[in-house]
Amino acid sequence: MYEEFLEDIAQTNGLREVNTYLKLLAGLGAIFLCLLSQSYIGPLFIAIVLSVTILSLAKIDARTYGGLFILPFTFAIMSVAVIILISGGEETFWSWSPFPWLSLSLTSESINEGFFVFCRVIGGMSALIFIALTTPMTDLFVVMRQCRVPEVVLDLAMMIYRSIFMIMDQLVQTYHAQVMRLGYGSFRESIQSFSTLCGSVFIGSWSAGEDLIRAMDARCYDGKFAVLGETRPIEVLPFITVALFLGVSSVVVFLARDLPLLGAGS
Amino acid sequence: MEGFLPWQWCVVWWIIALPCLVFGIYQLKKILETDRDALPLLGVTGGFIFILSSLKLPSVTGSCSHPTGTGLSVICFGPWITSVICAIVLLFQSFFLAHGGLSVLGANIVSMGVVGPLAGYAVYRALRNTQINMYLTVFIVCALADLFTYFTTSLELALAYPAPAEVGGVMSSFVLFMGIFAITQVPLAIVEGIVLALVFKYIVQLKPDILLRLKIFPEEKIRAARGEA
Repeated sequence: MYEEFLEDIAQTNGLREVNTYLKLLAGLGAIFLCLLSQSYIGPLFIAIVLSVTILSLAKIDARTYGGLFILPFTFAIMSVAVIILISGGEETFWSWSPFPWLSLSLTSESINEGFFVFCRVIGGMSALIFIALTTPMTDLFVVMRQCRVPEVVLDLAMMIYRSIFMIMDQLVQTYHAQVMRLGYGSFRESIQSFSTLCGSVFIGSWSAGEDLIRAMDARCYDGKFAVLGETRPIEVLPFITVALFLGVSSVVVFLARDLPLLGAGS
Repeated sequence: MEGFLPWQWCVVWWIIALPCLVFGIYQLKKILETDRDALPLLGVTGGFIFILSSLKLPSVTGSCSHPTGTGLSVICFGPWITSVICAIVLLFQSFFLAHGGLSVLGANIVSMGVVGPLAGYAVYRALRNTQINMYLTVFIVCALADLFTYFTTSLELALAYPAPAEVGGVMSSFVLFMGIFAITQVPLAIVEGIVLALVFKYIVQLKPDILLRLKIFPEEKIRAARGEA
């Protein structure tokens, strides 16, 4: 619950000084290519390239990076299992119909489909994690403003951004205090303590938010947070790297479009 | 989860989500013009949804089970603004915790930010002026908003990965996904309802003024709940 936010890592990563648009282009482009891909090879290639980039260029600790994949990996494996069992096909290895409306089977088509979805998830997740680890939210606010996201949304986003950290702080402190007083001894107590925790934190950060608005009003806040972000220039080397990455990935996605895991050429 | 839905479905859910967001932004503008003090409450509600929905539990389907926490926001601000808050929260989740994803954001907004809140709001409007206990109403709204979110998620998954037509197609995989979600989600929805109802109780006791100003419940009800005659 109290895991470290990727935000903290993103603020100090090795690619912090690279232009935000370039990083977004690389990440979003990779997601886009993964979705367009029709075979498992493209997403797998993207995942490998991005992982190497994150570990070597952004200098993210391998344990942290691996840890981020545990959750998506578990979910992906479980859900792919469901897809493999229900999607059916012609070349059947095994099948079982517990109910008339439900038939579970293992076919070469369903394994192909399942493995493909699994790789697409891994590719997509590595692209998402790439953006999350290299681009702090504060940089994204600058991009959002430049892209003319409506002011109210941006304001609200920043307010939520701030309150997340405020709530987290209070939550951790109160939670530890409750644990020390054996507040989570039984299920009933847990519910009671957890509600007290949520209620007090909610009201606490609400008044903190009101104080913030009052303080800002006193400083001529007119419903528009000033975002001070320097735009870093697009440098040649990073630009070429991103272009090369997207180019090569597109070629891989295109060339590998008809290559299934089982029954090649079918 | 990023990459889980085929791109056609990502596009479909985005197309459904966008008009709701636009309308939500319009309403948000109106509220902030008349009542600036609502901004901190909006922010805290968003932060709250973020924290609650970060408590992920493994579930055997493509996405995962977690409380949604949208109920409170629905009661305070209605379903459309809730969808904007949800969109922001879901975006933060993908960037802060690598939960969810950008391509599936549209689908997530539809399930967590549109259908769930709409269901909750319908119940809230139906029960608001009746004799039913205020906290019971909050409980039902929050639990239903949560359950309908998973109802929609199951539908999204089933539409993208239907079983073959001869064994029931979309319907059969929908039932399967629903069944798997239900194991974790039904107890979770009940717990979430209880927790948010208790949170609401604290708000009524400590800061009832904004509830009165936003006309969330009739004044007599809130007074009665505070023990004022």
